[in-house]
Amino acid sequence: MRKQFNVSSDSFVPDGTPEGESEAELMRQVAAGEIGGLEALYDRYHAIAYALALRITMETGLAEDVVQDSFMGVWRNAGRYAEAKGSVRGWLLAIVRHRAIDAMRRRRTGYALGEDTDEVLPTALTLPDIWPEVAGRLDAEHVRRAMANLPPAQREVIELAYFDGLTQREIADRTHAPLGTVKSRMRLGMVSLRDRLVGDFEEDFTPAAPSSNGKKGPV
Amino acid sequence: MTCDRVKELASGFVLGSLEADEMIGIEDHLATCLSPHPEIEELGGVLPYLAISLPPVEPPAWLRESVIAAASADVVARRRAGVTGSESKRSAVAMELPGGAQPGQAPRPVAAEVAPSSAKRGRIVSLAAVRASRRTVTSWGLRAAAVVLLVGFGALGASNGVIVPKASPPPFYNIQPGTRVAVLNPPSTQSQAAGLAILMPSGHIYVTVNHLEAAQGDEAYVVWLAAGNGAQSKVGVLKVDGSGTGQLDVENVATSPDIWISICLEPNANVTVSSGPMVLSGTISF
Repeated sequence: MRKQFNVSSDSFVPDGTPEGESEAELMRQVAAGEIGGLEALYDRYHAIAYALALRITMETGLAEDVVQDSFMGVWRNAGRYAEAKGSVRGWLLAIVRHRAIDAMRRRRTGYALGEDTDEVLPTALTLPDIWPEVAGRLDAEHVRRAMANLPPAQREVIELAYFDGLTQREIADRTHAPLGTVKSRMRLGMVSLRDRLVGDFEEDFTPAAPSSNGKKGPV
Repeated sequence: MTCDRVKELASGFVLGSLEADEMIGIEDHLATCLSPHPEIEELGGVLPYLAISLPPVEPPAWLRESVIAAASADVVARRRAGVTGSESKRSAVAMELPGGAQPGQAPRPVAAEVAPSSAKRGRIVSLAAVRASRRTVTSWGLRAAAVVLLVGFGALGASNGVIVPKASPPPFYNIQPGTRVAVLNPPSTQSQAAGLAILMPSGHIYVTVNHLEAAQGDEAYVVWLAAGNGAQSKVGVLKVDGSGTGQLDVENVATSPDIWISICLEPNANVTVSSGPMVLSGTISF
């Protein structure tokens, strides 16, 4: 049966959670050109993919194009997907985000949305998802609460970077904050978010000094 | 770039928000550094959860069928183009098509058989659903260009450009207010076909297409319209000349606020329901 999402539901299928066939099996099907695998992936992730595309583009038509392009990117590049490098969900959402931000940039510069025949993502967008064991006990409300509990200034820079695709320098211009402050806020916010989400993850590194330019603004 | 510097910039790196030289510097460092950098993976693992913090939103129902139709068209296009890079994709065509057409056989109609689930439901995927590979930005740009070209068409009698008809201009290019134009695009970049559809408020529609492949035997390029509710109607058959330019001029077409137009290569000109692969499609919008 086709799984249905709706706006009022916060349910999602976390990585590694059995619901029908496993992600690895679905990706095997997609890589083999089996339409059924793509249908299952769409049914599983279309609502969160569309939510992300809509949040970035703020336009339904463009978000629809982005979602279609993204699933076509998965379809055409499934053979490149390496299970060891992360979850399908993380991979798909990275593609959606990349395509949506790209679409917005092209719109601003007057270039058309390109054909997605060869989905090559920046390295930073194809990072391994090492949290499958954590995902099983996280729900959307947990994630939302972790975001809401961040200091507003830290949350703002993370959202401007993730959803709006702005660079740290652009964020500094947008928020009228020193670049060093933006860097600090982003670093502290991401580390804090990681800690809030994972909780019991071992602290493997310590945040470095807050500013590269020697200035330390309010964080 | 030092390891400490990478740690300092890790958050910006995973978010893709560093300057280009910093991004490249970190990528180069990670490619060669022998020391582990768990901070990259740990912070990178946060990203999917930023998306999950959003409430899921249900997209329009037709988007699912559009995605599946585009994927199916991709399979057929690869097969038609003789792409040999993926035997699995080729075999998938036979597997997905009811009746089990084998590679080398005539392709089965994709528009009618875009997915197993569709076939099981025993219905043809609506033309509205195969609004595949539409690019909003592209479409609007092309629509604007189309209007300019059509106006110039009447004034200059010219016929340049990719999507301008090579044959005679539309007989009613004195465009009425409220006339709608659709740019017709192929579902795959493998195809060079392109076209325009012009729908007058009176219900007079003119379709012109370039770069069509020659039809074989009884095959015919049939124009279909689908309203927003998915109901489809046959408009007519393109008259295609030896250069691959096809035209259709029909009056009294039923109009609605939301129309998708598609051109399918049907087994013959007498079909009443689309069963052939979609060659071009577009949205006729206000």
